[in-house]
Amino acid sequence: MGNNKKILVIDDDAQIRRVVELKLKNRGYEVLMAMNGQEGVSLIKSQQPDAVVTDIVMPKLDGQTLCKQTNPLKKQRPFLTIVMTNRISPDDRNWVKDMQDTELMEKPFSPTRLLGCIDEYFRRSES
Amino acid sequence: MRRLDQLHGFLSSLSSLIPLDFQIWDADGLVYASDNGAKPSHLTEHQAFSAQVMNQAIYQSSSNNGQAPMFGMPITYGQEVIGSLIASSSNDHSNQRSKDTVCVQTYDAKRMELFLTHLAGLAGETWANRNEIEAVAEELSLSFEDLSLYARISTHMRSLQFSEEMLKALVEELQETLRVDLAFIELPDREEYNAIVAGRQLQKRVSDQQAFAHNLIRSIPEQAPSLEQDYFIVNDSSTMSGYRELHPEPYRFLAVKVANNSTFDGWLGLVSFKLEEHFRQSELRLLQSMAKQVSVLLANVDLYHDLEQFVINMVKSLVFAIEAKDVYTRGHSERVNRYAMLIAERLQLDKTQQDILNWASILHDIGKIGVPESILNKPAGLNDEEFNVIKSHSKKGHDILEPLEQLASCLPGILHHHERYDGNGYPQGLKGEEIPFLARIIAVADTFDAITSNRAYRPAKAAEKALAVIKEVAGTQLDPKVVKAFKEVFEMTLKAEFETSHDE
Repeated sequence: MGNNKKILVIDDDAQIRRVVELKLKNRGYEVLMAMNGQEGVSLIKSQQPDAVVTDIVMPKLDGQTLCKQTNPLKKQRPFLTIVMTNRISPDDRNWVKDMQDTELMEKPFSPTRLLGCIDEYFRRSES
Repeated sequence: MRRLDQLHGFLSSLSSLIPLDFQIWDADGLVYASDNGAKPSHLTEHQAFSAQVMNQAIYQSSSNNGQAPMFGMPITYGQEVIGSLIASSSNDHSNQRSKDTVCVQTYDAKRMELFLTHLAGLAGETWANRNEIEAVAEELSLSFEDLSLYARISTHMRSLQFSEEMLKALVEELQETLRVDLAFIELPDREEYNAIVAGRQLQKRVSDQQAFAHNLIRSIPEQAPSLEQDYFIVNDSSTMSGYRELHPEPYRFLAVKVANNSTFDGWLGLVSFKLEEHFRQSELRLLQSMAKQVSVLLANVDLYHDLEQFVINMVKSLVFAIEAKDVYTRGHSERVNRYAMLIAERLQLDKTQQDILNWASILHDIGKIGVPESILNKPAGLNDEEFNVIKSHSKKGHDILEPLEQLASCLPGILHHHERYDGNGYPQGLKGEEIPFLARIIAVADTFDAITSNRAYRPAKAAEKALAVIKEVAGTQLDPKVVKAFKEVFEMTLKAEFETSHDE
């Protein structure tokens, strides 16, 4: 598994970054990390990750703005975005619906389900 | 040994500053080389040296056949040798700056040993730290898993009304998240709530899962007659008679009591055939907490049931109270209730609306409690004032029941059951669709019973006559849609009843 796919994890919570990093690395993915939305956007542009896992509430630039800024890039080069939030509000569902290849996941999240979601995306995009 | 990125970076930098190449080996082979394996010809030689270092802790190789000597140091983690660190003169340097090599060879062997000891110590420590961090992260990841399960299950418990589906969902989450082969809940006195979920592999192995789960639970008191804890655990069934026989393959089994204070409801259980893993402490805690929640829910179900019964009996008493006062209306509330419910069914009202109508129709005249008997039972000739008192009964009924939160939804049906479709009714003179729908249904049922209960007619005739009157006032007094539904109900059900049982 993994096939050198590059995954960017954006969260200001070090524990969450650590857990997600561990899970993804053990699965054979290459992992990049950012601590806020601003770093995240610049890494998405420079590193072209195959999937992005991002928090919503973050310093400097929040997850929603990040998605809106990077969504146009997906027309050229599609990639998966998983948005993690403490409580999925109808508002969240609404704006996420307008984004390409974007999934919502509720915190506290299950690392196994997160991994499953990413694996599934790559399986689908390859077939 | 895993890659240790920071250490590798450090060694690479070091190698570019001093005339040494570094390699890290473990029992499986080369882990790292500062020259990126630029000297493949020496690889077998290095590997043999690494094996020697790991076995005997040699730190310097004999410098034979003119080759540059190698230095090695075992990398240890606790008492265990996990790999070797090897340093050798780099090719470039040994050709160009042979003085350095000589220096390393002859004078500085002691320093070299000390240097490598530190370096290998650093490698061992880095490896240990890395391991520890990963173990902690793995533990953290499991806690995340548990937390997420808690959150999902409590969402289920909040959002659904208590039902078999809810326990099924709970057991499903447990099976999936804890990755066990079987998860189940057994409640001996409430078998309708029993639930069992099996992983895909298990479906083949155990044909009758329910019987298996049942036997597991049944064996607990035989194995542990004086069980004091709230859980029971079997780590390997092959070591326990009574459990060994239940399945040919060894399995592990954990069950937690579903109990609340003194009442015992049943067991929540997990089975796994993966004996290389154990039930974790956190899994036990999770299961205990789920079992507690389930027991509280079950207690609530009982309380809710009691409360519901209490309300039903209370309402029956209230209805008896009105009918005791008013001789003309004996059985009236129940009949109106029945007609209203027939109409509701015909109109395909949803379950919630039917429940509300059920209460509203049986209680629609409750306000008559507040009307003096002298007025209620006066055969004829009510003056305006007396008639106004009678008319107040719908508002009074509303006021009497208003403090009962549980009946709040049926108040509009009671308050407005004497409104007229043309707006000439009471108490508020609402018109057409302004009148709550349930009140319009009660109005039709009420009108029909008022006419058929009138002793002036013979029953069968009364029924036909009543229907004729109702059809006549459709659109003025009554809602034509409801009247249409009632007419259909009458033809299908009521007509035959009136002919057979009343008309002799």
